[in-house]
Amino acid sequence: MSAMPIVLPSNRDENWRYANLRGLARARFEPAPAPEATQLGDIAGRLPAALPGYARLVLVDGHHVAALSTALPDVNITHDVDAQEKSGADQRFANLNRRFRQGTCRIAVPAQAALALEVLCVATASSHPALDITLGDGAKLQLIERQLSARGDDSTLVNLHLAARVGEHAQFELARIGHHGAKAQALDTLELQLDAGANMKLVQVIEGALASRSTAFVEHVGREASLEWYVAALGEGTQHHDAFVHVTHAAPGARTLQCFRGIATGRSRVAFNGHMRVEAAALGTQTDQSLKCLLAGAEAEADVRPQLEIYTDAVKASHGATVGKLDADMLFYLLSRSIPPATAESLLKWAFVSDVLAKLPSPELRSQVAAALERQLPGAATRAWS
Amino acid sequence: MLVIKDLHAKVGDRKVLDGLNLEVPAGEVHAIMGPNGSGKSTLAYTLAGRPGYEVTAGSVSYQGRDLLALAPEERAQAGLFLGFQYPVEIPGVNNVYLLKAALNAARKHRGEAEVDAFEFLTLVREKMKVMQMDEAFLSRGVNEGFSGGEKKRNEILQMLVLEPSLALLDETDSGLDIDALKVVANGVNTLRSPTRAIVLVTHYQRLLDYIQPDRVHVLARGRIIRSGGPELARELEARGYDWVLNEAA
Repeated sequence: MSAMPIVLPSNRDENWRYANLRGLARARFEPAPAPEATQLGDIAGRLPAALPGYARLVLVDGHHVAALSTALPDVNITHDVDAQEKSGADQRFANLNRRFRQGTCRIAVPAQAALALEVLCVATASSHPALDITLGDGAKLQLIERQLSARGDDSTLVNLHLAARVGEHAQFELARIGHHGAKAQALDTLELQLDAGANMKLVQVIEGALASRSTAFVEHVGREASLEWYVAALGEGTQHHDAFVHVTHAAPGARTLQCFRGIATGRSRVAFNGHMRVEAAALGTQTDQSLKCLLAGAEAEADVRPQLEIYTDAVKASHGATVGKLDADMLFYLLSRSIPPATAESLLKWAFVSDVLAKLPSPELRSQVAAALERQLPGAATRAWS
Repeated sequence: MLVIKDLHAKVGDRKVLDGLNLEVPAGEVHAIMGPNGSGKSTLAYTLAGRPGYEVTAGSVSYQGRDLLALAPEERAQAGLFLGFQYPVEIPGVNNVYLLKAALNAARKHRGEAEVDAFEFLTLVREKMKVMQMDEAFLSRGVNEGFSGGEKKRNEILQMLVLEPSLALLDETDSGLDIDALKVVANGVNTLRSPTRAIVLVTHYQRLLDYIQPDRVHVLARGRIIRSGGPELARELEARGYDWVLNEAA
């Protein structure tokens, strides 16, 4: 199985133009073994504080660790490896996950039921966490998926796959936070389907890894489904954060709102490629893309790319994409109120991504994320919400 | 308090201030009036240290210090306050944070301890009553979604909390209805003291009906061309600027 050749996408593939694939050529994809029982105490000590009201599921290098997890009737761990691989460059990392995953975490929320769950994916080496989620009709799932490197300087590789089917009139709130080490490579593929009247909100904060790539495919399968997609990416040093989101509207009355806020400092690069496809059957679809990047380094780079592919006239589609520097008027206003320049810049960067950060689902999570951003936005993150 | 001598300044390639002289002693309120484009706002921005406003000659002494040698935040920490003609909106940074951070930065500069949360809120609530502002404004982003009048009230609220030694108020009366004008004027009058100075930049006499100035100056072509008492403002209101421009020509 693992002797099969590993085929990666390349920057010649259109949807991978902005991705940093250099470090992956030499990467070791074979997954780490399950953690020893003696390691669990150390790992437990590194986990973030529990979030009130949320059950917890812990995966270490993709292996479910029952000792650190809440026992839940709606969650089953299966060991179905060798899942069917799919073709195309966009599926290559998903295929690697299918090949190397150490079991699939199946979360099935029954119709009309509700679940609040935090999934912690801890990496010590290479890992391929897999989540397969089903929401029954009218179900509600609040899921916080967090990725952590066990140690800050680890050269970890995380290649996550998350698939979800959101039933009719079900509500799926997904918060995705990366707390990767400085040398980490973070990859993920999301495949989501929304049934009629389903409502999905995703909030993602990308920071910390040396290189990250998020690939998402969302399909409005049923009529009048609604999708809100908020992403904040903060790059520093030589980090490279790239996200690609493809949304297919295949049924009437679909709604999609996409909001991206990226900050590139130092020599970092942030990129967001949002592709909206509206099929002929998707009459009355409304889409809105607001993609903004802030360049805060002389050698920083930002790429935002809104794409619309529309096959019906009965559609409202708006998009805006900007790349700019810190607003000089705002900066001077803060300076004129005695705020030191470094703090003023941090505050404005915080303000830039606050549209996204404010959508995080729990105050405790917001505080933890703010603390994690303290290094990048000193003095701003923890005080702006005080 | 403030002594400006032969000040020349330009914005980009455009020369705006051209040998301006002005002296504002502590305890006094001075009004600077003048036609559009005369350099009033440039004077305010130059004194506050706005980037892009380049001083090419002259000097500015503030409380005996060389004001022009200070960075913008250092001028503010030293007690200079600029009330903006067009206060900017900063979504994502809330008012209460800005007020507290600004107050503590100024206190730190004066060697005073930072205020704690209780002291701060007590102080702010007291000042908000003066400005007839709802406390809900505190939790909103800085000037975010404020009407023009609310922004101006917020500027004066900041001034009352910071208690500057020198306040430069750039067309604080613009965009205010008569009721808001009275509230803003009352806020400014609250700050008057023998140890402070206030410079009002305005187009109209009506603000001066509520804030009695000690001196009125006419700024035109980048310099002060006439100074007088409060009666000068009334004369300008009655006769316009042409006569004083002609006399200065």
